[in-house]
Amino acid sequence: MTFQDPLVVLSPHFPQLTAANSRPTIPYDEGYNCIAWAVEDTDRWWWPDPQRQQFWPARVPRQVTLAAFVQAYGLLGYARCAYASIEAAKQKITIYTSGHGKPTHAARQLRDGWWASKLGEQIDIEHELSARAGPEYGTVAIVLSRAMRP
Amino acid sequence: MSTASPARQAPTIRSNLALRVSVNWLFAASAIGVSSQSVQLQKELTDLNSHFSFPESRRRQSRRSLFNALASKRRTDTQWLSSTSNIAMHPAYQTIIGMGSDALPTILDDLRANSGHWYWALKAISNEDPVVPADRGSIKSMRRAWLRWGAAKGFIRA
Repeated sequence: MTFQDPLVVLSPHFPQLTAANSRPTIPYDEGYNCIAWAVEDTDRWWWPDPQRQQFWPARVPRQVTLAAFVQAYGLLGYARCAYASIEAAKQKITIYTSGHGKPTHAARQLRDGWWASKLGEQIDIEHELSARAGPEYGTVAIVLSRAMRP
Repeated sequence: MSTASPARQAPTIRSNLALRVSVNWLFAASAIGVSSQSVQLQKELTDLNSHFSFPESRRRQSRRSLFNALASKRRTDTQWLSSTSNIAMHPAYQTIIGMGSDALPTILDDLRANSGHWYWALKAISNEDPVVPADRGSIKSMRRAWLRWGAAKGFIRA
């Protein structure tokens, strides 16, 4: 399968995604989601679901709110940051929210300034930040950063 | 001239209707207020009529077809979502939960064959949770725990 194929499938959901501003990386894997992938956890699906089926840090409220997500990433050393632009010795992640302000997606900045995203239970892609905005995930609500780790 | 008795005929809508009318008549008779035996007889005849009109084997097949269509719709529509809550709130997913415990063997079969996010539905329907807290979010471990649970309960083969 070439990237053209997923792009055709993805375009109705992510209208700004093109072959020029994105590239596929890892094929389908339902073992983890974007919230986990933002912190490079490929073993668990992170979500604060009320049924308590998915992983969520024990000390963080199981609420689908931006504050709860910031708190969850805060346990791993991330704090609010003003810019999404690349900075030396900083690791950054972004959280996207829907029109209702509920978190929908997270992405992790790569060393070249692009962003790594896991698309639900589907594939991973790398992309420019604005390429992911759209009806499915909404827009970037916050940028978090921490000191780069080896 | 042949005198052979006519071959036994498959049930028709007319014969089915006749049976239903008889059942209703018996029900009316029992409603007048007679013995518990007549009520029991009426119930058995109603069940017989229901089974005769729509056999269990066909019901199972119908349930499975419906499940497959709903599961496919759910997968297509929510494959890009990270939100377990939004996946579970999808109308097709909710319809499957609404099928109740009858759906458990089919859900577990699908979990075994295709994996998928059935954990919310399994917990909602069964009101049980075989996943230990340390395995929350670990799809492989959760799948293994639920399949083991399904086999222990007799919903699927081990």
